[in-house]
Parts: sequence; structure tokens; C-alpha cells
Amino acid sequence: MSTDGSAFFSTMSAYFGPGTDWRSSTGKGVTVAVIDSGIDDTHKDLSGRVVESVEARVEKNKVIFEPSEAVDSAGHGTACAGIIARIAPEVRFASVKVLGAGGLGDGQIFLAGLEYAIKKQYKVINLSLGTTKPQFFAPLHDLLDRAYQAGCIVVAAANNLPQPSFPSVFSSSLISVIKSAQRDPLKFGFHYGEVIELTAPGVNVRTTWPGGGYRDLTGNSFACPHIVGIIALLLEAFPNMTPFQVKSALYAIARENQEAED
Amino acid sequence: MPQQSEKEFSERLRRLIETIDIANMLTSPIIDSIRNLLELSAGAIGSPEASVLVRDGDGSDLKFLTAIGEVADQLLEMKIPAGKGIAGFVLSSGQPMAVADALGEQTFYPEVDKQTGYSTQTILATPLRYDGDVIGVLEYVNRNGSPPFEPFTPDEMDKAAVYADAIASLVNAYNAAKLFRQFSDKVLSSDREPDMAEIRDWLLAIRESSDHHERMELAVMLREIAERGESERRLCRELLDTILRFSKSKDDVSYLSF
Repeated sequence: MSTDGSAFFSTMSAYFGPGTDWRSSTGKGVTVAVIDSGIDDTHKDLSGRVVESVEARVEKNKVIFEPSEAVDSAGHGTACAGIIARIAPEVRFASVKVLGAGGLGDGQIFLAGLEYAIKKQYKVINLSLGTTKPQFFAPLHDLLDRAYQAGCIVVAAANNLPQPSFPSVFSSSLISVIKSAQRDPLKFGFHYGEVIELTAPGVNVRTTWPGGGYRDLTGNSFACPHIVGIIALLLEAFPNMTPFQVKSALYAIARENQEAED
Repeated sequence: MPQQSEKEFSERLRRLIETIDIANMLTSPIIDSIRNLLELSAGAIGSPEASVLVRDGDGSDLKFLTAIGEVADQLLEMKIPAGKGIAGFVLSSGQPMAVADALGEQTFYPEVDKQTGYSTQTILATPLRYDGDVIGVLEYVNRNGSPPFEPFTPDEMDKAAVYADAIASLVNAYNAAKLFRQFSDKVLSSDREPDMAEIRDWLLAIRESSDHHERMELAVMLREIAERGESERRLCRELLDTILRFSKSKDDVSYLSF
């Protein structure tokens, strides 16, 4: 038996390599939770896709989530959803709006949003937000372990700045992504052994914007939904994949991308 | 000094302090430095319109602290509600981002442009972080020259992050100076002795390293105890002596660190 993992990669290639089924899937049957600024579902690219829309409200020092009629007030959530929808055109969205609630600190509301999505057992969670506050390290770690055990795949954007942000520096129970200048969403990269393992397009990405238009956006926030879109495709083909299996598949696909380039 | 002249002296001192423009002495040099740095950074990034936004009060609403460019004066009068627009998002999420108007249609969060008559086409926004907290946003709008403008690049985003670090320290100093100013205004305008609880609240509001914070709190606590009376002073001293002896008795490891 080989010791360099080649047997593992050739097995993986049979499932995930060029010409395999998942590459022609559309994300059908998969719901992605987007924890962000909301999603404008009146945009023609997103209409009819948002199956749940809730927003955070602070009541007596507690964060509660209730159905939301509010529009995306910052544009960011709509932009992320647009990227996911472009890769997986039949995916459904749950919008968990955690921005603009006021009251408690932003970090606390963001944590509550993640907890809400895990409780609802959304299979994929897009987290293009982060915090550098050390006090959130432990509670986030705990929540991500719960996500992992519940089979929820959490994908987070790396901080664009020099200091580490949470949760993107956690590695075991999370998939974290940093931007690259690559244009093709399928040509993402995996840097095994590095803190932020995945690279995906994040420079001048054209995507949906509230009010029906489009914008060219740059930031790690927009690399993250690219990987979420890919995961939605994988989950349509293999609905029972665990977070661990998804990460292994991403690793194998990225390795093939790399080999094809070399 | 006889009692009468001592009273007179303190009255004169108070009047003197009141005539000096403490408000501007404390905060305006800091604002000037932020503005200078902003100008330097805008030159390096190649953008004519740049601004520093800070939290307005305790919440996540934003106001412009300083700005340069065509509509700078108008911006200083404006506020951005929590979570709104690019700046609102960057403040809440801590994620920098660059946005370019892809198809030349109307800009998003049109309030600012509506009021200033300016046309925003490309934005680069970076969080101002201090001690793990996002305390504001550094924003650049459009480019030098005429439209259509090229989007901001990842390199420019990295460059802005370096300036944001320097500006964030100054914004923190500005916030501390403002708090000090408010506090000194309060002390000067009232005849009573400063309230210890107020001093403690004031200290809590200053963002400093937690280590420094703790030391300051300890100092205020000691002063409060010392003012309570002789027996409190004696008890406090005995306790402190005991702690010091305990701490010294540990050869290798000190379980108490001040």
C-alpha cells in the first residue's frame, strides 16, 4: 500500500475528479444559511430562493430572532448570496440578519446568529464575518464543535488584516477561506498545514447588489461564498457528506486543480 | 497660607483653567494628526476623497470625524445609521471590502450622495481596530482623474490596512482626550467633590490595554478606601502588606501578578 496518499487521491478522484456527477449539479435540495446583513430577494437572480428570513432583535439583554421583512441595509449579504447562486443556481437560502440590530455588542449578535443556524441544522453556513475579540474565542469554539457534531458545515472568511480573527483561525471544525485573484470558482486552492486552508476568487467579483444591480467586489468575504457554492454542488450529489468528508473532498479537488496547472 | 487667600487662589486657578480652551487643546492636535495621516494615505492610494468615521455614542451609528475632498465639509455634518451602507457593514463585520459600481447605475445607500451631490463609484473601506475592537472605519471614495474609475486593488487594500493601524491609535487617543475633556468640564462646572463612581465609569470608558486598565482601577480603589477614614486605611494597608509578603515568599512562581 502506498504511503504518500496516492491511493486515497485516486479513490477520491473517482468521485470528485473531472467529469464526475457533482460538477453538473445545481445545488438542488440544499439550503444555505447566510449569516450577514440580510438578502434582497427582490433581485431577479435571487427571487423565490430565500426560504427563511429572520433578523436579530435585542430584548432584555437577549438576542431573539424573528421573521424579517427588512431589506439588506448594507448590500453584503445580497452580494454573498449572489455568488453562491451563480455557482449553485438551484440552491435555497436562509437569511439570518445579524447586522444593524444595535443594543448588545456586534460580536454577541453574530454568535447568536450562528447558534440559530446550527439549531435549525442548516447543512451549510456562510459566515463572511469575524471578530478579533479574545473573549469570543471560547464560545465560538464551543459553537463550532456543536456545528460539527450536528453535521453543519461552517465556512468562514479569513480576516483581511494581519491579526487573526475568530472563527477563521480555528481549523478542525471549520472551513476558512482567503481571497485569490483566480476567476474560475472551480479552480480553488487548498494549502494543507496553513491556518487558512482554502483560497477562492475574491478580487473584483461581479455579483448581485440590492436594488437589482450588480457590483464588482473585493475582499475575503467574497471568497467564502465561492466555497459555499461548491459545497452545495457536492451536497446535491452526496447529501449525507459530513463536514470532515466535505473538507477531504475539497482538498482532493484542489489538489487536482493544482496538478492540472503544473 | 491663610485660609482666605487659599480660597482666593483656588478660585483664580479655576477661572484660569476655564479661560484656557481646554477642549481644543486636548482634541484638536489629534484631529489634525488624523487629518494629516488621512491626506498622506489618500495620496498613496490615489483617491481624492477620504474620511475617518467613528462610532457616534455607544451604539453602532457612525459619524464623520474628519474628511478630505470636495464634499468634506458636508460630510462632517452627516451620520450613518448602524449597519447601513458599506461603512456600517465594515464596522459591524470587521471585514474590509472594496466595491466598484459595475454598471454605472445609481449608487447604493444613496443618502450620502443625495445630500452632498457627489457621485460615488468606487469605495475602499477598512476597519479601524484598537485592542480587538472595531472603533471606526477608514474610507476612500473614487480615484484621482475622471471616471470611469478602476476598482481598488488588493494591494491598495493592504496599504489602507497599514494606515488604518496608525489612524486607529490616534482615534483611540482622541476618544480618551474627549472623555477627559467631558470629565474635566464636569468637575469644573460643579462645586462638589468628584464622585468616585463617576471616575470609575470614566476609566472604564477609556480603551487602554487591560493591564493598564486594571492598575488604574486599583489606584482609584485605593484612593477611595483612603478617603473613607483611618480604620479603613489601616485595614487596607494590612491587607496589602500581607499580599506583598505572600507574593515575596514564592521563590519561583508568583501566583499573583500585578
